[in-house]
Amino acid sequence: MIKFTRRTGLQGSLAAAALLAAPAIARGQARPSAARTVRAVMHGDIPTYDPIWTTANMTAYHGGMVYDTLFGIDANQQPQPQMVSRYGVSDDKLTYTFELRDGLRWHDGTAVTTADIVPSLKRWAARDGGGQHMMLRVKDIAAKDERTFSIALKEPYGLVLDVLAKTNSPLCFMMRKKEAETDPMQKIDQVVGSGPFILNLAETKPGTQYVYDRNPSYVPRSEPVSGISGGKVVKLDRVVIVNMPDAQTAVAALQAGEIDFYEVPPADFLGQLQSDPNIKIEVLNALGNVGQVRLNFLHPPFDNVKARQAMLYLVNQSDAMKATFGDSKYARTVSSYFGMGTPMENDANTDWFKGGRNVEKAKQLFKEAGYDGRPVVLMQATNIAVMSNTSQVLAQELRQAGINVKLEAMDWSNVVQRRSNKAAPDQGGWNIFITWSSGSAIGNPILLAAHAATGDKAWFGWPSDAKHEQLRDKWATAPSLDARKAVARELQQNAWDFVPQLYYGQWVQPAAMRKNIRGVIPVPEIIPWWNAEKV
Amino acid sequence: MAAYALRRLLSMLPVVGIVALFVFMLLHLAPGDPAAIIAGDNATPENIAQIRQRLGLDEPIWKQFLVWAASLAQGDLGRSMFWNESVATLIGQRAEPTIALACSTLVVAVAIALALGIVAAAKAGTGIDRLVMGIAVVGFSVPVFVTGYLLIFVFAIGLKWLPVQGYAPIADGVIPWLRHLVLPSAALGLAYVALIARITRATMLDVLAEDYMRTARAKGVAPVPMLLRHALKNAAVPIVTVIGIGVALLIGGVVITETVFNIPGIGRLVVDAISRRDYPIIQGVIILFSGVYVLLNLLVDLSYALFDPRIRY
Repeated sequence: MIKFTRRTGLQGSLAAAALLAAPAIARGQARPSAARTVRAVMHGDIPTYDPIWTTANMTAYHGGMVYDTLFGIDANQQPQPQMVSRYGVSDDKLTYTFELRDGLRWHDGTAVTTADIVPSLKRWAARDGGGQHMMLRVKDIAAKDERTFSIALKEPYGLVLDVLAKTNSPLCFMMRKKEAETDPMQKIDQVVGSGPFILNLAETKPGTQYVYDRNPSYVPRSEPVSGISGGKVVKLDRVVIVNMPDAQTAVAALQAGEIDFYEVPPADFLGQLQSDPNIKIEVLNALGNVGQVRLNFLHPPFDNVKARQAMLYLVNQSDAMKATFGDSKYARTVSSYFGMGTPMENDANTDWFKGGRNVEKAKQLFKEAGYDGRPVVLMQATNIAVMSNTSQVLAQELRQAGINVKLEAMDWSNVVQRRSNKAAPDQGGWNIFITWSSGSAIGNPILLAAHAATGDKAWFGWPSDAKHEQLRDKWATAPSLDARKAVARELQQNAWDFVPQLYYGQWVQPAAMRKNIRGVIPVPEIIPWWNAEKV
Repeated sequence: MAAYALRRLLSMLPVVGIVALFVFMLLHLAPGDPAAIIAGDNATPENIAQIRQRLGLDEPIWKQFLVWAASLAQGDLGRSMFWNESVATLIGQRAEPTIALACSTLVVAVAIALALGIVAAAKAGTGIDRLVMGIAVVGFSVPVFVTGYLLIFVFAIGLKWLPVQGYAPIADGVIPWLRHLVLPSAALGLAYVALIARITRATMLDVLAEDYMRTARAKGVAPVPMLLRHALKNAAVPIVTVIGIGVALLIGGVVITETVFNIPGIGRLVVDAISRRDYPIIQGVIILFSGVYVLLNLLVDLSYALFDPRIRY
């Protein structure tokens, strides 16, 4: 018979405790320490791992960790070499030659060569608006040897380095030959980059968490980090991107120290977070986002330029911003077609803005446009706060101008589907929808698809204007920054006359993080985790 | 009983078939195009058309249904449009948190609810009864997400006793697993407690008023054995029925609770799939939930025989 004593009881308790704790201890030994691990909640989930195939920003974030780029913009928005060591352009400006730098290796250990780079460039250019614009002028992209390749142009093109270095999605990420030769319309099936982090597939759970481990073989450049250029020195062992869709939960998790970084705390929570001594708020993308009101050029009333001009006088950007951000210091009004704070910002043709809102003028312009009282369909994406609130404000403003507005509530997925419908609004089409783009993209007339005014081939709303297109080409081939700024004035002068779209405000999204997180680089469009550390 | 169970199991097939048809039609007739979502913001109509073709979304809807139904008949739930992963695998990856949450909620809620219902019935008309019923009304009226946020605020942010969110697999240790389940189970279980406590009280009151209970009291049976051995067993059938019906409430609550507490379960999987219009996942999860619901109702029906010897199958 077993005799139960205090000693056997104690032994049994210790054994049970060890048994309960054993799995955690075993796993803990295999994981990097919490002190060198950052858990971050971003604005959404990563919908796919192929950063060329989709423009989703979350996939660009993933791409920034795993892949590398030939060039990267610096803090002054200027392109700087990243995977490239030496480069040059011929005297006739028709041939760019690039040499890859030492130490570039794929995560599978093989060397990065031009056999990978050339198909990577071609696949990216097939999907990216900027890449397509460049390829119209490209005669050939060819490897000269394992380390050297060239881009031969049909005519001088001033944006070659800019498009290779840009941060708006899809970025020009380099992939292995095997993945780079995938049909651009198909997704790649393996994630093997040469970037500073490696995706840890064993611990990643799609839809839940994505685990990135430091790439021990990565050789950073020697220059100091600036934008996405310079040395990508990784000071963390692991970054875990956690998909946490509920804002309230994410804020609570940040305050409790269960996560270290929250990219998009809603304005309602900023006060609460600022009062927490363990949390700091930082604006990482100073150019922020610019809210766009897209008008359908195909159907009345916005097929008439007078009706589109009326909208400039009707929209009160301050009200739209207050509806979502309150009296926030993070939101402002926009007069420049290229957004505020961007290199191309200017004040050409902005009398409509300087004069303030003018409902009577708007009414008069709608009358001149021959508005006949037919319903104007405004698609309201109710699941995205800024879009939903702005739609409500805009609907009321339209009613004030005597417009028979039909506010149709739906989720963003429905808007995405319906906005491609070119039929009349009463047959499944639409007149207005609300969206936004990053300030850096708005500031570039080539890289943002929404800037095109190519009619049927243009982005949703299908604006059409030959002069606008001529000026975009002129901007792309302008020889210097000053020359581009001059063309930007011309573009804006024309744009605010024919009104391809209008804006309802510009805002920056402050990120919240634990105070021991340092060194997160302020870059538009992506959040790089090299240089960041947990102290 | 075996023949009855077999008949009921076979009757599940048309039920699941009708559910499959309705789910498929509702999803495909509802607005929203997965190809447009997959293609992204800068996609051209040609890009979207190519993706639609690759996913088979350009085929007539009846043909799409037949293809899916044929796969389903072979036990294949299809592949996620976004992850190119089999739906069964994705559900399998998310099953543990959902099963853990549902089971812990069910066990704790039933235990608490029965105790409260019995006490309220035994003390009918007293302050204790009113208190218990007051709690039940509040529990049933307050939405799960409000309860969840309140519990997080008090126990995770304020007292720092428990984690705010997430799920620790049981393989990481029993204690972290339990710590992560306490708050979500409490939030989800409150409405369930209220439902079962109310029906337990009402049924127990009916039984306690029966002649045989008066006889038992007259024979000197002690109050506790009388309540548990005599009254509760005779009140069991309606209570078990409500527990079964309440599983539907639980399934709906799991979806919300997993979002509030960031639990990577099947509920989160389906919510994410709905926002992306990932049809195979939505269809697969709803078929699974409907099958579970029908199966649980069968188990409830079979359990009647355990509580009431007059019931024979």
